[in-house]
Amino acid sequence: MRHRWLIHYLTAILVAVPSAALAAPVASGELIEHPEAWDGETITFTGEAIGESMVRGSEAWLHVNDDAYADASIASGAAPVGYNSGHAVVAPPEIAEVVRVFGDHRHQGDLIEVTGVFNAACSQHGGDMDVHAHAIRIVRPGAETPETLDRGRLIALALVALGAAVLAGRLVLVRARR
Amino acid sequence: MMLRPSAADHRVVGMHTGKIVTGFGLLMILPLVTSIVFAEWRTAVDFGIGLAACLVVGLGLQQACATTHELKRRHGLVTVSLSWVLATLLGALPFSLSGQMGSYLDAVFDVMSGLTTTGLFLIQDLDHISNGLNMWRFVLTFVGGQGIVVIALTFLFKGTAGGIYHLYSGEGKEDRLLPNVVQTARVIWLISLGWLAVGTAVLTAAALWLGQTPVRAVLHGLWVFMGAFSTGGFAPQSFNTFWYHSVVFEILCIIIFVAGSLNFAVHWAVWTGDRAELRRNVETRSFIVTLGIFVLLAAVGLARAGIYPDAMSFVRKCFYLLVSGHTTTGFGTVYSRALVTQWGPLAMLAIIGTMILGGSSCSTAGGIKGIRVSLIARALREDARRLLVPDTAVIASHYHHIKDRLLSETAVRSALLITVAFFVMHSVVTTAGVLAGYPLIEAAFDGVSAASNTGLSCGLISPAIPWGLKTVYIVAMWLGRMEFLAVLALLGWMWSVVRGR
Repeated sequence: MRHRWLIHYLTAILVAVPSAALAAPVASGELIEHPEAWDGETITFTGEAIGESMVRGSEAWLHVNDDAYADASIASGAAPVGYNSGHAVVAPPEIAEVVRVFGDHRHQGDLIEVTGVFNAACSQHGGDMDVHAHAIRIVRPGAETPETLDRGRLIALALVALGAAVLAGRLVLVRARR
Repeated sequence: MMLRPSAADHRVVGMHTGKIVTGFGLLMILPLVTSIVFAEWRTAVDFGIGLAACLVVGLGLQQACATTHELKRRHGLVTVSLSWVLATLLGALPFSLSGQMGSYLDAVFDVMSGLTTTGLFLIQDLDHISNGLNMWRFVLTFVGGQGIVVIALTFLFKGTAGGIYHLYSGEGKEDRLLPNVVQTARVIWLISLGWLAVGTAVLTAAALWLGQTPVRAVLHGLWVFMGAFSTGGFAPQSFNTFWYHSVVFEILCIIIFVAGSLNFAVHWAVWTGDRAELRRNVETRSFIVTLGIFVLLAAVGLARAGIYPDAMSFVRKCFYLLVSGHTTTGFGTVYSRALVTQWGPLAMLAIIGTMILGGSSCSTAGGIKGIRVSLIARALREDARRLLVPDTAVIASHYHHIKDRLLSETAVRSALLITVAFFVMHSVVTTAGVLAGYPLIEAAFDGVSAASNTGLSCGLISPAIPWGLKTVYIVAMWLGRMEFLAVLALLGWMWSVVRGR
């Protein structure tokens, strides 16, 4: 019984450690390329919440992109380096509601860490490849993407618009003369 | 001997091309207004530049080439081809200015894909693009479905005869719904706008029910309708229609893209009270038979792969993708790469089969088209019957397409020619993919998808593919949409300028 304290200590650690720490961290690309290997496994992945949370009764659907734009979108000045890639996540609404900002043209969405069970073809959701999340943690809060106007582009617009106006005016005059 | 086109011929082509380019440019008002409504000022400036550039080219051509000469057949086809080239190059401006494209070629790829209702895309970071640019993608695909010439005929052309018909037929549509071509173009728009109003309302209601916010529900309702009815396959998010996770939404999409793949003449017959046409039409029947065959084939492939745990999932995924392929829509509810990693070669071959056949003629769909498949099948049956009856017996086959028709040698020959041309093109694009280093099944899948204007992808097509392969796909999308004739007419025109007498 000398080591009872040690057993209690280890048990306490196991209970206290969040489930995320026990889940395997994985990228969405790996899940799509090797779905059988991860089917039914508890996984964790980090990415930007995009679009919106679609709440339907006891479920909320989220889409989380773990691509090159998760930290900075092209709209915010990043260079184009490929397609978006991410994963569909379904969670209870009370877990999904921690996500506040969703990525779109005007926003860089919250960077979130999702922990849940990966399904290669979910029987609950019509065969969708999804992750049933049981924990979502905000890694970095989202923010608005500032928009700046390029002066050179405004000058180009003025010049081309002037050309179009001249040609339109000339066409109207020619038709009026007929 | 080829006759070198005269200056008057060039002026006729130039003036009418100018009108179509002007009409095309005016379409940019829609994304421009969208950008202003959502305070996307950079995007608004980009569309301002694009619109003004189209007007400069369009109005400039009209004035530089002003003529009273009549538009004839050879002018008509060349005008259509040239208009598509200019519209694609100019329509790519806002894409390129947005910074979302890897190169101008990528922007041209996306515009050609939109106008030909293919639905493949090279735009990057789609999930962060502006509402204005997204609107442009869907306007392109919706207008492309009806035809950019059809819209110009509707609003910018007067007259009824001569070369005007060849402008219309040059875009791959031959059926006249009404005796007057301009009225036919207007009826096509009436049908499409009628569907647009109802379809958008229904999809918006569904999107709201699925939990989207009102503004996003309206935008997604409109855009998904445009992508579905035009059998285009563009979707507002990178997840395509997998975004919605809803069987109801999928059923609505199927109804809309099947409607889009039907011949406009069938739509018009139903609108004017002849509902039996839908059941009797040879293309509708052909579609049901070939869809059944390919769904069965895909089901065998999926059953072997054993990925779907229950019948509902199996039917839902299999049917949606096969109908999407057969109507050449390109909507998907699985990840592109899942076709390779989960579906496997047999199910992929089944989808390739549907994409090759495609939808109905005079519709928004691509592919060989149901009418040609039916005519060839009937001709084969007729030849087989001839072998079994006495030499003196007279065998005649009939088919129903708006009216009862006799199967003629000319119709079969024409159907066979285009079918052979499609198969040659599919072989070329597949070979190009293999030459670029991709596996045969993947090269065939994405190559056929581009050439049949479908838009499903197994993950081969991406901004990283070589520029030569992108160019092959752009040309294939164009040839497939024009059904070869108008493109060949332009090449012939250019050849006769150089070598004609």
